[in-house]
Amino acid sequence: MIIDVDCHNYWSSAEVLLPYMDKHHRDYFVRGEQPGPRGAFPHGHRPWLHPEGFKRADINPMKEEDNYTIMKAKHLDHYKIDYAVLTGDEAIEASTLANPHYASALVRAYNDYQVEEWLPRDERFVGSIVIAPQDPHMAAAEIRRLGHHPRMVQVLASHGATRPYGDPFYHPIYEACAEVGLPFAIHLGGQGGINSNPIGAGPTTYFWETHAILPQSAMTHMASMIAQGVFEKWPSLYFVIIECGVAWVPSVLWRLDANYKALRKETPWLKRLPSEYFKDHIRFTTQPLERPDNLEHLWSVLEAMDGENTLMFASDYPHWDYDDINNLHIPPAWREKILGGNAMQVYQRLQALEASKKAA
Amino acid sequence: MSDNKHLVCKTNEVSPGNQKIVQVGRMSIGIFNIDDGYHAMLNVCPHQGAALCEGPVCGTSAQTDKAEFIYCKDEALVRCAWHGWEFDIKSGEFLVDPNIKAKTFPVSVDGDDIYVHM
Ligand code: FES
Repeated sequence: MIIDVDCHNYWSSAEVLLPYMDKHHRDYFVRGEQPGPRGAFPHGHRPWLHPEGFKRADINPMKEEDNYTIMKAKHLDHYKIDYAVLTGDEAIEASTLANPHYASALVRAYNDYQVEEWLPRDERFVGSIVIAPQDPHMAAAEIRRLGHHPRMVQVLASHGATRPYGDPFYHPIYEACAEVGLPFAIHLGGQGGINSNPIGAGPTTYFWETHAILPQSAMTHMASMIAQGVFEKWPSLYFVIIECGVAWVPSVLWRLDANYKALRKETPWLKRLPSEYFKDHIRFTTQPLERPDNLEHLWSVLEAMDGENTLMFASDYPHWDYDDINNLHIPPAWREKILGGNAMQVYQRLQALEASKKAA
Repeated sequence: MSDNKHLVCKTNEVSPGNQKIVQVGRMSIGIFNIDDGYHAMLNVCPHQGAALCEGPVCGTSAQTDKAEFIYCKDEALVRCAWHGWEFDIKSGEFLVDPNIKAKTFPVSVDGDDIYVHM
């Protein structure tokens, strides 16, 4: 079983969302100020730009339809993928907008477009409910609106955020996730606009430099989710961290455990070591998997984070740093779990889908 | 040059500064038309095996000692279609580490026929 948990469904223009917007916000989109050419998705742009664009150069959609047909030929069929979790294109960037009403209208439109135009195309597709977390109550309403759709497998936000995700400010989101039984996932992105602190010491300059250190915010979110007791409050919740690197995880866990042992009195609501919450509740996706010259170095860190059970395969199709399934540098004995088994566990909707497939 | 010579396409099928992907037996090969003539490169990237030759034919910035951007190797490189590693079309060398090489093949032109020698 191969489950790709980070497969980007592109659009040729964000105008595909127009039919799904209410008239008030449609006017914003059609006549409002735009951050790029006509049809650009409204977002507060990040300060560094990729000099070659984001996508692989051999993926060249000309028509809207090509976004699917090329993905099918070059990715889904080619690698015999059983399920692909769609993670959208720019939709998560709605989190950068100051106006939460507009941001929420945009993600609602995206989610409806995904349900209408992507999910029915291929039975391998399952979706993500994208939210604009800057207003957690509106985000929770969106989770409840679509949370029972049989092919929505997670709730998704950008990893650029106005504050660390464990903050009680965001708890209405987890309340809703727990209610509908979906994991909460964050994907690299959402830097710029109101998410002004994506990087610790201030904005970096070059794209490759920045991309390599973006895990900084993921570290913050991981520590915050654990320390604020999110997993004590919602004991069935999974938190998925997509595209933020993995080799740093053991080092942060070691520090968290050591500090907690000395200062547990600060967070008396915690009942276990930080690393134990991690093992039961937090999952990471592989892409882009670090590539040291000596693979043993990578494998020993993966082992220290129990990678066999905490990693899920992601391709990041069709982005510039895409990982090929057949070139994934993980210990061979772990492949089955990482390629599919762990995702089946986290995305419980998939278990139901599989069961109904077998029954049919 | 070995005698294992394959007619791959006509010269007018590869426009200047561009490439054409051809099939020789089970091999996919990129035929490039750059300033000093035609070149052939296996369409498999030494990094992760992507369709290397489908990337753009382009130049890059030269290594310098200060912040200046000197465009060089114009139309002498192909950037792999996936992760953008830059390879010299003539030698197959990867710019960051010349020990890593994309496979290249000798090419000859006879009239308007292009041959790859393997
Ligand atoms: S496969 Fe060519 S640069 Fe990665």
